[in-house]
Amino acid sequence: MVRPIRPFPRPIELFQPTTPLSSRNTFIGAVEIGTSKITVLVGEYTGKELAIIGCGECASRGVTKGVVADYKAATECTHSAIELAERDAGERIDCVFMAQSGGHLEGFYNEASVNVKAADNMIEKEDIRTVCELAKAKELPPGRMVVHHIRRPFRVDGRIVPTSPENLMGQKLEVGYWTVHGQEQRLADHIHVIRGFNLEVRELVLSSLASGYMVTSPEERQNGALVLDIGGGTTDYVLYRNGVAHTTGILPVGGAHVTSDLAVGLRLTEGQAEKLKLRHGRALMQTRERSEKVWLDGNFSIGDRQFPRQAIEQITAARAWETLEVVKKKLGPSFVSEMCASGVVLTGGGAKLPALAECASRVFGVPARLGEAPGWVADNLRDPGFHTALGLLYYGVNSQGERASAGRRRQGFLQSVTRLFA
Amino acid sequence: MNKDLISLPMSRTWRDIPQHVRPRAMSPEGRRRMTVGLVRAGAGIMAAVVCAWVAWELALVVRNQPGGILASANAHPVRPPILLTDGVLDNRWLARTLSLPKGSTLMSLDMIRLRERVLANGQIASAALVKHFPDTLEVRISERAPVGRILAQVGKDAPRTLLVARDGVVFEGWGFDGAMLESLPYLGGIKLIRQGGGFAPLSGIAPAVELMAMAKLEADTLYQSWKAIDLSRLSSDGEIEVLARDGMRAIFSANGSYLRQLARLNLLCAAAAGDPTRTLRVIDLALGSDVPVTYGPPNPAVSASH
Repeated sequence: MVRPIRPFPRPIELFQPTTPLSSRNTFIGAVEIGTSKITVLVGEYTGKELAIIGCGECASRGVTKGVVADYKAATECTHSAIELAERDAGERIDCVFMAQSGGHLEGFYNEASVNVKAADNMIEKEDIRTVCELAKAKELPPGRMVVHHIRRPFRVDGRIVPTSPENLMGQKLEVGYWTVHGQEQRLADHIHVIRGFNLEVRELVLSSLASGYMVTSPEERQNGALVLDIGGGTTDYVLYRNGVAHTTGILPVGGAHVTSDLAVGLRLTEGQAEKLKLRHGRALMQTRERSEKVWLDGNFSIGDRQFPRQAIEQITAARAWETLEVVKKKLGPSFVSEMCASGVVLTGGGAKLPALAECASRVFGVPARLGEAPGWVADNLRDPGFHTALGLLYYGVNSQGERASAGRRRQGFLQSVTRLFA
Repeated sequence: MNKDLISLPMSRTWRDIPQHVRPRAMSPEGRRRMTVGLVRAGAGIMAAVVCAWVAWELALVVRNQPGGILASANAHPVRPPILLTDGVLDNRWLARTLSLPKGSTLMSLDMIRLRERVLANGQIASAALVKHFPDTLEVRISERAPVGRILAQVGKDAPRTLLVARDGVVFEGWGFDGAMLESLPYLGGIKLIRQGGGFAPLSGIAPAVELMAMAKLEADTLYQSWKAIDLSRLSSDGEIEVLARDGMRAIFSANGSYLRQLARLNLLCAAAAGDPTRTLRVIDLALGSDVPVTYGPPNPAVSASH
């Protein structure tokens, strides 16, 4: 069937400031449904500034490797976290920006090129629209849905143009999109968890994009950086090049696997293994003495016993090294150390494993560091576990105006009235 | 080449996922939020409709009667007030009581003070004043009916007759029929207490009121012959003494059945009426089934009439 070209909407640039949503304050909820915990932040957007006014956390249940496995359990936890955050903020959330992770998310690159139409070789809007539409036009397998179209810089006759190529001279215009897509049912499950609280999901954002935005500066992204967001059940990564996300990916392995390895290796319960990991785990071996032992609890209670420190380090380091190796392998030729001058930035709860930065530096052959939130972020939100939720909020602020201005034109009178009083 | 003919594969995005959820799939808090949202939206629509209606009405007034909306109620002096009553008071009394200044308008009236003026008369049990714009004041009152009379003398003034209502309120009485007032017995043996410009309501007269009501209802001929009712022994002995116009005294017990006592009195009076040689002087009905009766010589006035 022949389909006409749809009018190409203005490309939504991630994290570029746009006009505010409305004159009244908007309360945005950033929800990250993780494998180990659910984090909700509430941001009040005044039109010029964003203030984080509430925070809610809840231990996660019913979520496996970033995917909702038990709807009821996941819903209960998420709603508890939202209620806590709303109570903390003293306001009701208007809309939600949700982080998306999970092994079902994949990405591919597709590019297109057009010959400039004008006789004088000046690139016009129509050329840009056409090439963008062509680059994004790739049919997905059944049951798959697009989550993000991330545009890479335009190229005019092979020359990279970081901004819009309109009015530039050239014969050939090229552009490529990194398209992130996921399984429809998995995405719908996440959305319905939020809808069960009668909240609208305004945006789905890849976890790695959200956290990457918070822990890297525009300069670092321009110079090239690899951000690894190590969560409980997944490791999300994003490779920045030329200021934009070049490649994204998700590895269904996270901090919970380190715990699991310890539990199996040392014959412990998950809880005991988690305790040992937090106290004595390391991403690189440090202990030389095989006889050096550590207590499980250290309080001489019944059941308290000793474990060789070297064994703990060995197990945790092996898993950390392997995880990083797999990421490097998945990145393949996309990762070139020369084009990753800003190095590797680690974030997420799993990044708190001691010596992980050094380990990443050895694996990738570039400098590595632990990601830190910008200086204006309050102390209680500076933990790496909040980076994704923080990034979601700032993504929300930057994109909401664009969405709202388009949406306001579409919505009917009744919807407008409902929104006014809701 | 016509661009409309270019065929491109279209990918679905996550925005194509429908976000509607059935209420039963929602958590209790979600359902509560939805309900609150709907109620708010409904209230908003209702408010908008009301505003639109008010605007429409105003527009009609402005269009049909451009000067009307600007003419305030102050432009119309109050007409003589309308009185709605369940008693005997008339417009003359109302005009005198309210004594509205000439040319006053509805807006200038102090309704609370006017109501106080009306209620200052003990004959009024309740009153409601209603403004009907632009120029009409309506007064609705409920009046007390008198059950007895008392003769009161304040200071060195001449004694004056006051009326007593069922609830013990003492008032001067306005507009009652003279014959009806004459038929009311005087109440004696009670203590009047000054209160403001009048008297405090009498307390403890309920048994006497009940007796009078019963007598009027069951033995009206007897009741018509009663001249005065003495309540001086009511609180101490529980006795009510009735003085008839022919000089006979009947003593009732406040604790017994009035109906039975009235029946005995009626029987005795009927029996005595047939004997012109003697007249009843005192009948003590307060002793139960034994009724001591004192006879006296025949009343000259009564004998003469026979």
